[in-house]
Amino acid sequence: MAAETSGAPTSFDRGGWGWLFQRITAAFLIVVLAFHFFLLHFYHHAYEVTFAGTNARMSDVGYFATMWLFLVTATFHGVNGIYNAMVNQGITGTQKRAAQGILGLAALLLVVQGTRVALHMNGFL
Amino acid sequence: MSQSYNRGLVEDFGRWKEFQAGMWAWIFHKFTGWILVGYLFTHIAVLSTAIQGPESYTTTLQSLESIFVVRILEIGLLSTAVFHILNGTRLLLVDLGIGLGSQDKSFYASLVLTGAIVVASVPTFLAGLGGGV
Amino acid sequence: MSTQIPEQEAEAESSAEAEADASAESPQEKRMAKKAESASYRDAQKKAQEEIEAAERAVQLKVFRYDPEVEGKQEPRFDEFHVPFTKGMTVLDALMYARDHYDPSLTFRHSCRQAVCGSDAMFVNGQQRLCCKTQMSELEWPVRVEPLPHQDVVKDLVVDMQHFYDQMHSVEPYFQGDENAPSGEEQKQTRENREKIKMSTRCIWCGACMSSCNIAAGDNEYLGPAAINKAYRFYMDEREDQEELEEHRLRILEQEHGVWRCQTQFSCTEVCPKDIPLTEHIQELKREAVKNNLKFW
Repeated sequence: MAAETSGAPTSFDRGGWGWLFQRITAAFLIVVLAFHFFLLHFYHHAYEVTFAGTNARMSDVGYFATMWLFLVTATFHGVNGIYNAMVNQGITGTQKRAAQGILGLAALLLVVQGTRVALHMNGFL
Repeated sequence: MSQSYNRGLVEDFGRWKEFQAGMWAWIFHKFTGWILVGYLFTHIAVLSTAIQGPESYTTTLQSLESIFVVRILEIGLLSTAVFHILNGTRLLLVDLGIGLGSQDKSFYASLVLTGAIVVASVPTFLAGLGGGV
Repeated sequence: MSTQIPEQEAEAESSAEAEADASAESPQEKRMAKKAESASYRDAQKKAQEEIEAAERAVQLKVFRYDPEVEGKQEPRFDEFHVPFTKGMTVLDALMYARDHYDPSLTFRHSCRQAVCGSDAMFVNGQQRLCCKTQMSELEWPVRVEPLPHQDVVKDLVVDMQHFYDQMHSVEPYFQGDENAPSGEEQKQTRENREKIKMSTRCIWCGACMSSCNIAAGDNEYLGPAAINKAYRFYMDEREDQEELEEHRLRILEQEHGVWRCQTQFSCTEVCPKDIPLTEHIQELKREAVKNNLKFW
């Protein structure tokens, strides 16, 4: 019989949310990454990119929002992917906490810097 | 049992000939994933020139694009991204319980499709090189 | 042939000693027993030579050898044995032939010889296989036999299975049906439900899947395919219908080192001698855990 049934209904947060978000962001990224490549290499050409062009695209609220979400989801997906690879290698204790700290900080810095860049691109800053 | 002998990991690359489709898919997915994360950081770093001003941004991007090696690296990035997308789709299907019986075939399909898409994209990726931009 | 004569004697001596302990033989009797034993192996080797000449083909086995307790075998190496091939010969048959005719110290686990007991999973030609169920004719020759990877080798082809058993036990691999059911009465299962769990009940605890799993190799705490499949067998069994129990079973599975570690490499599914769709079962449990938690959330 079930022994301990007290407390929260489950311990899902220990890995389940990470797994689920990794997949949700994956589904989003598949579409947006393909779009990003298509837009900037086939529709426009990378060698023709100028600040003016970028500025025009980023001034569109929908595009800006998509690109910002792209940044956040890609950062999560990538950094969480690295973290998973490390857990799969069996890191524990201090090593694991260090990995969490460093990766979390790197992710945060990337999102902050990316957001700054995006705001410069659309002329807000 | 303290004297028992540990032979290390069997998936050492010395045994690559014995790997099967699912294992290769995992190795490639992980490898392309590392490249894409690395590129994400680099990408934001390069685009950060926008903070210094419009001219700096335009000059940096265009001078980078005029370098042949950069174009080749971009093709590499495309193949990395396309494989990661296609194999990622395969993995999402596996997570949904779809097509587990043909997971090896879908891996080969994503490899072939990646190759085809990349080959077809080479002209686009090399366009405008030395064209006096 | 690199069959090791000195070790053979050492081994014969130790077994003779063991006999001596049991029945308190005189030194002379001991010497006699030792002599008789080595004589019988000389005969066996001679017989093997004749049989190889008589057989149409002989298969070459390359067998991993290691024994921390014997001086000449502390450094792992491969020994070669030539075994006369007979139709229907399995890897286990060949190993037994080699042991019985060339080197009595060659050590490996086996019992039922019909893929039920699950004791002879080994690494044959680079893949985890159940030796009693693997036909020699299906393999590329020479055949290389090694102990299961990712487990400590105790001696020759014998590995320490303790960690595997610990993981199996951690999922409570036993039926916990209705306690209030009248005693002595069957707890019947629907045909559909039986079909659902049919494949998962086939596990023979051979450990091939766990040994093939790249994640289990790195993350020692990972439950591993066999244990998760075992949990699937009971979680999906409708006769275990108390909600608390279902929760309890799920909670074991959805720990950080539970189902989430599976990277769907399909290695386990490829090597399972019982063709259990392990990856499929693990994936289904992941979805169960997600569904269950979204429900609560």
